[in-house]
Amino acid sequence: MLIISGISLPSCLDLTEEVFSEVVAENFQPGERDIPSIIAPVYGSLRALMMGWQGHFDVQEESADIIITPSRPNGWYDGGTYLRMHQHNWTPIQWQPTNLWQSSYRSITTANRVISQIEDGEIPIEAGRDEVIAELKAVRAFAYYLLLDNHGNVPIVTDFRDVSLPLQRTRAELSDFILSELETVLPFLSKDASSTYGQLNYWGAMTLMAKIYLNAEVYTGTAQWDRVIDVCDEIINEGGYALEPMYADIFHWDNANSVETIFAIPYDEIFGTGNTVHMKTLDPLSRFVYNMQAGPWGGNCAVPQFINSYDEEDGRLQDTWIMGPQYHANTGEMVINYTREVPGMAATASNNGYRIGKYQIKQGATGSLDNDFPFFRYADVLMMKAEALLRTGRATEAAILVTQVRERAFVNSNPAKAVVTAETLIGGSRYKYGYQNIDGSIEVDQSGDVPFGGFLDELGWEFAAEAHRRQDIIRFGVFQTKSWFNHRPHPQANTRIIFPIPEGEINSNPNLAQNPGY
Amino acid sequence: MKIFTNGIYSLVIIGIFLTISIQARAYSTVKKIYISIEGKGAIESTEARTISGTVYSNEDNLPLPGVSVVIKGTSTGTATDGEGNFTLEIPDEPTTLVLSFIGYVTRELVINNESQIEVRMDADVASMDEVVVVGYGSMRKGDVTSSVGGVKEEDFVKGAVRDAAQLIQGKVAGLRVTTPSGDPGASTQINLRGINSIHGSSQPLILIDGIPGDMNTVAPEDIESIDVLKDGSAAAIYGTRATGGVIIITTRQYRENRNTVSYNNYVSIQTIARRPQLLTGDDYRRLIREEGIPYTDYGHNTDWLGEMLQTPVSHNHNLTLFGGNSTTNFTGSVNYRDWDGIFLRTGQQRLTLRADLNHSMYNDKLRANIQIINRIFTANRGGADGYAYRQAMIRNPTDRVRDDQQNWQERDGYFYENPISRIYEYNSESRFKEMRISGSLIYNPLDNLDLKLLVSSVQNDTLVGNATTFDHTNTWLNNQNGTASRSTIARVENLMEMTANYHKSFGRHILSVLGGYSWQDATNESFYASNWNFPTDLYGWNNLGAGAALQTGQAGMGSGKDKWQLAGFFGRFTYNYDDRYLFMSSIRREGSSRFGVNYQWGTFPAASVGWRISNEPFLKGNSNIQDIKLRAGYGVTGTIANSPYLSQISYNFNRDQGAFIGGNWVQGFIPARNFNPDLRWERKMEYNFGLDFSFFKDRVSGSFDIYRRDINDLLYSFPVPVPPYLINTMMLNAGSMQNDGAEVLLNITPIEQREFVWRVNLTYSTNKNKLVDLSNDQFEVSNQFFNAGGTGEPIQDYTHRVEVGGPIGRFFVWHTVGVSESGEWLIESQNGETIPISEAVQEDRQFYGNGIPKHILGINNTFIYKNFDLELNIRGAFGHDILNFQRMFYENPYNTAYNMLNTAYDPVYGQRLSTDLAYVSHYIESGDYIKLDNVTFGYTLPRLRFMQHARIYASGLNLLILTNYKGIDPEGVYISGFAPGNDERDKYPTTRTFTLGLNVTF
Repeated sequence: MLIISGISLPSCLDLTEEVFSEVVAENFQPGERDIPSIIAPVYGSLRALMMGWQGHFDVQEESADIIITPSRPNGWYDGGTYLRMHQHNWTPIQWQPTNLWQSSYRSITTANRVISQIEDGEIPIEAGRDEVIAELKAVRAFAYYLLLDNHGNVPIVTDFRDVSLPLQRTRAELSDFILSELETVLPFLSKDASSTYGQLNYWGAMTLMAKIYLNAEVYTGTAQWDRVIDVCDEIINEGGYALEPMYADIFHWDNANSVETIFAIPYDEIFGTGNTVHMKTLDPLSRFVYNMQAGPWGGNCAVPQFINSYDEEDGRLQDTWIMGPQYHANTGEMVINYTREVPGMAATASNNGYRIGKYQIKQGATGSLDNDFPFFRYADVLMMKAEALLRTGRATEAAILVTQVRERAFVNSNPAKAVVTAETLIGGSRYKYGYQNIDGSIEVDQSGDVPFGGFLDELGWEFAAEAHRRQDIIRFGVFQTKSWFNHRPHPQANTRIIFPIPEGEINSNPNLAQNPGY
Repeated sequence: MKIFTNGIYSLVIIGIFLTISIQARAYSTVKKIYISIEGKGAIESTEARTISGTVYSNEDNLPLPGVSVVIKGTSTGTATDGEGNFTLEIPDEPTTLVLSFIGYVTRELVINNESQIEVRMDADVASMDEVVVVGYGSMRKGDVTSSVGGVKEEDFVKGAVRDAAQLIQGKVAGLRVTTPSGDPGASTQINLRGINSIHGSSQPLILIDGIPGDMNTVAPEDIESIDVLKDGSAAAIYGTRATGGVIIITTRQYRENRNTVSYNNYVSIQTIARRPQLLTGDDYRRLIREEGIPYTDYGHNTDWLGEMLQTPVSHNHNLTLFGGNSTTNFTGSVNYRDWDGIFLRTGQQRLTLRADLNHSMYNDKLRANIQIINRIFTANRGGADGYAYRQAMIRNPTDRVRDDQQNWQERDGYFYENPISRIYEYNSESRFKEMRISGSLIYNPLDNLDLKLLVSSVQNDTLVGNATTFDHTNTWLNNQNGTASRSTIARVENLMEMTANYHKSFGRHILSVLGGYSWQDATNESFYASNWNFPTDLYGWNNLGAGAALQTGQAGMGSGKDKWQLAGFFGRFTYNYDDRYLFMSSIRREGSSRFGVNYQWGTFPAASVGWRISNEPFLKGNSNIQDIKLRAGYGVTGTIANSPYLSQISYNFNRDQGAFIGGNWVQGFIPARNFNPDLRWERKMEYNFGLDFSFFKDRVSGSFDIYRRDINDLLYSFPVPVPPYLINTMMLNAGSMQNDGAEVLLNITPIEQREFVWRVNLTYSTNKNKLVDLSNDQFEVSNQFFNAGGTGEPIQDYTHRVEVGGPIGRFFVWHTVGVSESGEWLIESQNGETIPISEAVQEDRQFYGNGIPKHILGINNTFIYKNFDLELNIRGAFGHDILNFQRMFYENPYNTAYNMLNTAYDPVYGQRLSTDLAYVSHYIESGDYIKLDNVTFGYTLPRLRFMQHARIYASGLNLLILTNYKGIDPEGVYISGFAPGNDERDKYPTTRTFTLGLNVTF
């Protein structure tokens, strides 16, 4: 036995870990064919972030004046999380902005990793090496833009190998960093929109620059309206994009490669799941309307005050919201009637409030929509330019651009109404700001007209439920000063324009100081 | 380098085998003697005469074969035959006979003129001489210097016992066994000396005849004894597997001349204990009429909970045979158990077969054993899960199960389904098969040297199928047209151990040396496939390809494989001087594939000392003191990460992280985790001080232990900053934890008469836990706490917080101090003010109560009167709190869409609640209880010619509970993990069980 033992021992000391269901780095030699997969996670994080649970969409909309998630008979109190979003009482442990932070940095760290692997030759790319690195840096800049807009003062990390605790940067530094990165990579980015759908190409990067210039006053204290106009002009003149003739087509389930879309987050009900905007908004009974293969959850809806600001003949009202009686797809029976009224953040019925219908739901939809999310689209470029013109005293030129965008909204109802004047854009908002009581009455806000309120209304109608609203109403001062629905201006409203650094990050990185006011 | 170290270890192990020393019988037992004679017969007056007699065991009234009968002072003697009879020539004068048999108290009988005698021998209950099982061997209890506990077959809990752990429930101080679920397939929950790991498992290592397994590996009826290695000094020889303690199960084996066939059978029924009382249909109508509460009245009266409950009848059959002789013998058993549950369609069947063969050769120099255990667990079930239970709780009691057309009455609502349709429209079948084969060879080249080789292979397979019909929610709600899936898991675990064991005594010195090597590897493979959109629901899961979701790309499929290896060298040295001073030390050097290359090997030492004060000259000979022993021990054990590969630098292709690149959907190539090649095990260092005692001829005995456990290098999914890391957690060795505790075991025999015996076994334990630190060299500052536990929706909140400097198990909650006139909770703010809950912020939460009991008590009484026996087991736990989910979700009248407890409208702080469901301290209740858990009443039938032994019994489990807790069962709560004391809403309620049983031996 001793002899047997002696012989068998060496083989019985081998503790090498055998790996079967993972790809061990040292065994994997990536080639050209693997490059799309290696780049993919940089974009992949965005899908769950944009239209997924408690993601970017909710951060931008629930904190603003168009969409609310009231508690309902089937729940949706959820520890007060939606109420805090609505009333700006979020804390460093609020999930939604934390998700945004995590997901953005996931894209950034992935980009850093892949860049360093390419630069070190671990990932061999021969042709188009600079172009791949440029794209990765552009997406990284995009992820930093999300942080710039939402958290402001965050660390900038560009080297994957460096795992030392990063230092915090100011919002202005971050803004400069993103702009300079974009300037550097622009020459290497593709200008061919048709082969880069879903990726950040030259025009997407330009639109991103325009966005940063548009909000420059908020980000850095110095407005950059002329830069907005310059950048937008290049996109308008050379980008080859156009407005879709039909507003609804931009958001259709078959909206890939729309002529209007500059940068999309593509979704697919099989390969690219994560667009659950319909699940959160529809009542469970709406499944009969669309023969859905999932039972929706029944949560968020439109703020009645916003709905009331629409022109009745504006086609975007119907194209953006699901309202009124809904009918069973097979039997034709009415299954639910969505009412405009919502009594409050509490005490809402399951059918209160118009639902988000912008991302059209096809028959037989699953829990995950096919509709791509247009993060940047051509109308946005036109409206950015219009806003810059408006704010630099060129209201008449602005009105022409806005009219151009409005035309398709009234084409089937009253084309004359598409025309908008400079006075309207400069004048006050049609949004009846003020606190809403349970009976629907409004304690009308007495703080005066919103400057350029007419233009803000246009942004609202055009971009409702596109995760634009928080940024826009911050720029117009509404976010900090107005009441809407069950929201009153926060006592420290000026600090609410950026979110706190997530508590977990503060705890694990002592170089980070909390944003002011938290 | 690796080959070199391997070589070194080979030399070391061979060296251990060759390090042979000397030793003599250390364990000769000094028997105590007392006599009772029942003589009868006539006088004969020859010089030599013949005496004959029969020897019985007093324990079970069976004849005792093989008993040595010797005339005192001579070598003349005989042994009893298979029937316990002996015949012996003795001088015709008063003669003293010495009767001895291993495991029995030796008796001396003075024979005057009897020619026929009947002798009864008592089992040797001298507690210090009992043999207890320790790691890789056994020891005389008196020699043990560590904290170990053991329970033998005769002291097991009787009745419809769920698994091996329940046999010793409440009988080992510091080992808490609870049954959190009434599901027939569910296991017990075991915890030894508190929570000792964050991410690893706190589960003990369970060995069945030396081979790792679980509490269900063998049927409870097949178990002879269960020993528990509690402290580090005892467990350290098992290294990285032993932080949760070691439970050693010894199966029943052939003993000398135990040629018997025995059959055990029981039948049991169960009922729900403390069933929740909900509003009835009539209550609804009254509330609508009298108070205008906006309930929907469908006009019926349905007791939904009653609809899903049944009174299940379960049975259990066990047949065991022992046969052979001292050179070749076998044990065989068949166990069949068919248990049904209180929920409809939740039964499980188990068939366990065991064969154990022993053969010895060359004058007992070589002994061989082969054991085979085969078990098959089968369950054909419906959809009666925790979720169905929730649906039964919340469903409108004025509704009905089926509509006029006899279809299921479904309604629209969010998470609102007919529980009975779920039960019948979901089908599943699972089959678990395991074959364990083990073999051992023991060779005695020298008298006091044993060389042992043990090898085993355990192979098991699980095959599961489940499907829903067209009438299930998946179809009527989600349009899936039938769903089905199939999954299978295959697992192979191999073990090889070589040990060498020597003992030697010279003069007053006794020493022993053990050395050994152990290898273990395990491979897991899995596969699953699912599909839906079937043309018919008649296929179930048996024609998966018929579903159309495969073609539309929505079907699911997956497979995986993993493997780990563990190698260890171990040695132990014990030394005993004059039965007074005892010393033990052990060491294990162990390597695991589950850790980073830099940390594959670790060392786990242990040492303990004992002082048998009772053997000191000043106490020796005192007839009232059998034993007093002081013990002190120290030992290091480890906890290994649960899953392999945590230290690997590896990637995965992942669809979720894929994207639309270059006009195609591609999968994302992503790192499997934040890489940490420095991962290692947790280290637990434990100090244990103990006292063993036995007084008044063992009528009062027991032990007392105090311990401290310091656990360092806690494996923890540590929050790391993002950036620079990819994801915000990383498996790290971070922080430390401490457990302090004390345990008391007391065995008392208040009455011991010929016809009446009363024995009491009392256990008490207390434990105090503290998270000392959560930090790591890599990160300067760490989170000082982490949150744990969740309420589930619609409250969606965490329940516990574990903070550095505090114990595990504390609830972290808004503290309610009242209810406002509008029916809103009033809570205490961080500044001590009273504010409505709508104004409360996270910072207002505070610690409130702890889910882990401070004190745990077990009291076990055994009464024997003539042929009757009665056992009463009482357990209690004190100093803890329970979050009553049942009340948190169902004792609030705010949401009239769902049914609720009939106490929901009762005033709280003088007001009726009119506020959303919320997690507040009001629902955290004292969990203290005393439970009369097991009452067993048995009767042993008078002996019959063809039957050696027969006993019938009736037993009740979970009979009576004294508590202020308002939920179903304060003991039926999960206490492991970091959210102990959450009495979850979706549960399978614990039950009350009544059993009738029969044991016969031929």
